[in-house]
Amino acid sequence: MIDRLLDSARGKVDGADALWRREEQTAVAFESGRLKAAGISEEAGLNLRVLAGGRMGVAGTTAAAPDTAALVARARASAELGEIVDLAFPGAAASSLPPIPTFFDRTANASLDDMIRMGRLLVERLARPDCQVNVSVEREIADTAVGNTAGARGEYRATGIAVTADITRIAGDDVLMVYDQYVGADMPSDADLEALVRSVETRLTAALKIVTPPDGALPVIFTPAGLAAVVLPLEQALSGKTVLQGSSPLAGKVGEKLFDERLSIVDDPLTPGRPASRPVDDECVPSRSTGLVEHGTVGRFVYDLETAARAKTQSTGNGRRGVFGKPHIGYTNVLFRMTDGVGARHGVQTDALGGGLIADIADGLIVDDLIGVGQGNVISGAFSHPVGLAYRVQRGEITGRVKDAAVAGNVYDLLKRIGGFGSDGRWLGSRWSPSMLLDGVSVASR
Amino acid sequence: MKDRLAAAVKRSRAGYTEIRVERTWSSAVAFRGRRLETATVSEDQGGFVRVLNTGCGWGIASFTSLDELPAMVARANELSRAVRVDEPIRLAEATPQTADGVLDLDGDVRGVALSEKKKLLDAYNGAMLAVSNSIVDTQSSYRDEVSEVWYINSEGASLYQLRPEVVVSGTAIGRRNGNIEKGLESIGLRKGWNSVQHFEDRFRVVAQRAVELLDAPRVRGGAYPVILDNELAGVFIHEAFGHLSEADFVYENPQAREMMTLGRRFGKPALNVGDNGAAPGLRGTLPYDDEGTPTQDTPLIREGILVGRLHSRETAAKLGERPTGNARAISFRHPPIVRMTNTYIAPGKADVGFQELIRDIKLGVYACGAFGGQTMLENFSFTAGWGHMIRDGKVAELVKDVVLAGNLFQTLDRIDHIAGDFTWNQMGGGCGKGGQFPLPVTEGAPHVRIEEALIGGDV
Repeated sequence: MIDRLLDSARGKVDGADALWRREEQTAVAFESGRLKAAGISEEAGLNLRVLAGGRMGVAGTTAAAPDTAALVARARASAELGEIVDLAFPGAAASSLPPIPTFFDRTANASLDDMIRMGRLLVERLARPDCQVNVSVEREIADTAVGNTAGARGEYRATGIAVTADITRIAGDDVLMVYDQYVGADMPSDADLEALVRSVETRLTAALKIVTPPDGALPVIFTPAGLAAVVLPLEQALSGKTVLQGSSPLAGKVGEKLFDERLSIVDDPLTPGRPASRPVDDECVPSRSTGLVEHGTVGRFVYDLETAARAKTQSTGNGRRGVFGKPHIGYTNVLFRMTDGVGARHGVQTDALGGGLIADIADGLIVDDLIGVGQGNVISGAFSHPVGLAYRVQRGEITGRVKDAAVAGNVYDLLKRIGGFGSDGRWLGSRWSPSMLLDGVSVASR
Repeated sequence: MKDRLAAAVKRSRAGYTEIRVERTWSSAVAFRGRRLETATVSEDQGGFVRVLNTGCGWGIASFTSLDELPAMVARANELSRAVRVDEPIRLAEATPQTADGVLDLDGDVRGVALSEKKKLLDAYNGAMLAVSNSIVDTQSSYRDEVSEVWYINSEGASLYQLRPEVVVSGTAIGRRNGNIEKGLESIGLRKGWNSVQHFEDRFRVVAQRAVELLDAPRVRGGAYPVILDNELAGVFIHEAFGHLSEADFVYENPQAREMMTLGRRFGKPALNVGDNGAAPGLRGTLPYDDEGTPTQDTPLIREGILVGRLHSRETAAKLGERPTGNARAISFRHPPIVRMTNTYIAPGKADVGFQELIRDIKLGVYACGAFGGQTMLENFSFTAGWGHMIRDGKVAELVKDVVLAGNLFQTLDRIDHIAGDFTWNQMGGGCGKGGQFPLPVTEGAPHVRIEEALIGGDV
């Protein structure tokens, strides 16, 4: 398909690249403990980008038998309005791709009955009086092909599976919802499913008692899930696009030590077994890992081909594209790592709430979920959110769940000195991180 | 197309079968700063099949290759039969509708050159950039679509709907000495090209505000009397209450049903809330939902008392109530689920204005505009675009980072004053639920006063 499309573009435009992707999803859903629905979804699409007269244009289609000439014409019309861009497609020489397993037979071959069995097991393990359990199991098989007129080609098959469980418990007007998810390219092991059950159970049990929230500037442990509000401003600021645009607080700060020196952040498309891993990005750039923050120092920003050309640098292989629209920057797997050097404590891996960081806290919070992350002025690093799920820690112990409290702070202030890294590092979607203890977070109660 | 779908439904071996096919023509233009990001025309099409058999669950298939339609009906039937259920799934009775619902295109966007759309957005984007040197970045987008939707089910429903949509949005980012602030304008209409002209001033105003916010202090966190402007009051009722009135939240959950018992008092007698999918000319308006049920005005709270909820055919059957036309899907890629349409707080007395609300507040917050909102069941958060302190009954200094956090029951009960100055706020973006985003919805409200609400921020 790609070759036919690129052939059709040759001669009509100065250059072109394209992506073809076919996705097949199978899902089963248990609602309130009962199997409710099974579904499949099949989708194929083609995205074309052209360079014509130094300008860039794009077009996409989900038609089953795409009219390639019409698609090229649409992309050319788009280019007529486009900006001048000095973009070069990577050549065939760049096509030696890193070997990275993305396709797992066990996932691809899992039957509907296998998925129903897995879901039912979770429902049974999580069932308890006065609680509603929802479980879903979703499997995806995707074929991707990319290519360009400079001769580069890339092709791979990938699998992914997501197993999601949530429990809702309503007592009077108190609504408690606890949620967790296994996401992988390979099927979850029994231990993975057991960890999922334990994670939901642990957080539910600790939440049954409601305690009054504290007030003031306090130590707060952000769990891997709770870290979302901290991660989001950094991901925006480390995007080459935001930097080019002048709105990133990190623009011009490469090489400066702005964060705790034990903190490193890596974008790594080569981690085995992760659904976001891939040998090549959506613009034919071979995958490699990128050090975003190294020992507290701002490292590299992530780029796709267009932003790299404009910033006069190289793409980091972070090009992502859908069927419609032009390629854009996207992270793959983002890993928050504690790096050695300053007597970092290496505890035994734990799944205890708080990651083993609660012992020294006289009064503070564990934040597992915040409401409204992504709203507000994210790029500035400032956040202010009511808690969705949070626990109070007093004299080194979790005393219960807090409600009607809000936390606020600025990521750039809080990450200058990290109070501690938990021993509970784990994947959450495409992000890996341990819990982090941050000092001086504003906690407001009612 | 109708005949083709009807034939496929007829051949289905399932007890109940429905097919939805969509063909969407759309174009999009985007600027980032002075730079054009994209200008594209897209065509998307695909189908959705859902079947139900006695003693079985839903079998669902979505696909982009319409040639596969008969095979997909068979696949959906297999999936349904693989899902054995102990409690049967029933659908509320519905009179099968057969109609063509063609909304006014108001300047068919398919007939306007892409270069004209670029020019329009360039003007709005340029209006923001011209405000000040402190506006360092903008993100502007124009998107339009004309969507054709066919719906056929095995009970005899046969519908064709033509739905236009146009959205213009702009974000102005101001920056000075490391401070970064933004202003946001968004206009989303179920209309066409004619309806999005001459909005330069609206974009200018949000850029000016982004610049003013650079010098504004953060609001001090704590509990205050709060007045919500029309836009934020609308977001509030959608986020804080609307989602709980979606019957799929309660229909399988006895505890939730108890919490949301019809007849329960939710607010003071001044409070009236509803959802109206049939309101003419709004972005959340549709003649029929994605199960073929006609839309309607559904009262949810009347004089402070919970009187209704939003239904699909499945949730209505389970609760012994009537479908309300709120089963919606964002596209053929998704099943219909219970969603809002145009959700509103009804206006108070016509002679009650903003002044009556603010007069006796000594220290409070006037929260305006909305960057967004989210609920986690009874807890919610919404982020105002900006705010003003209220001092001694008057609007005082501009403040930023105004985030309202609260508990639904307490907050609704604390609404003590509702003005008569109702407006619908037709924004772009939309509502997200169950992985389906953005669903076009509208919110409407007058100015609303909350006796006391928690504002997050520095303490």
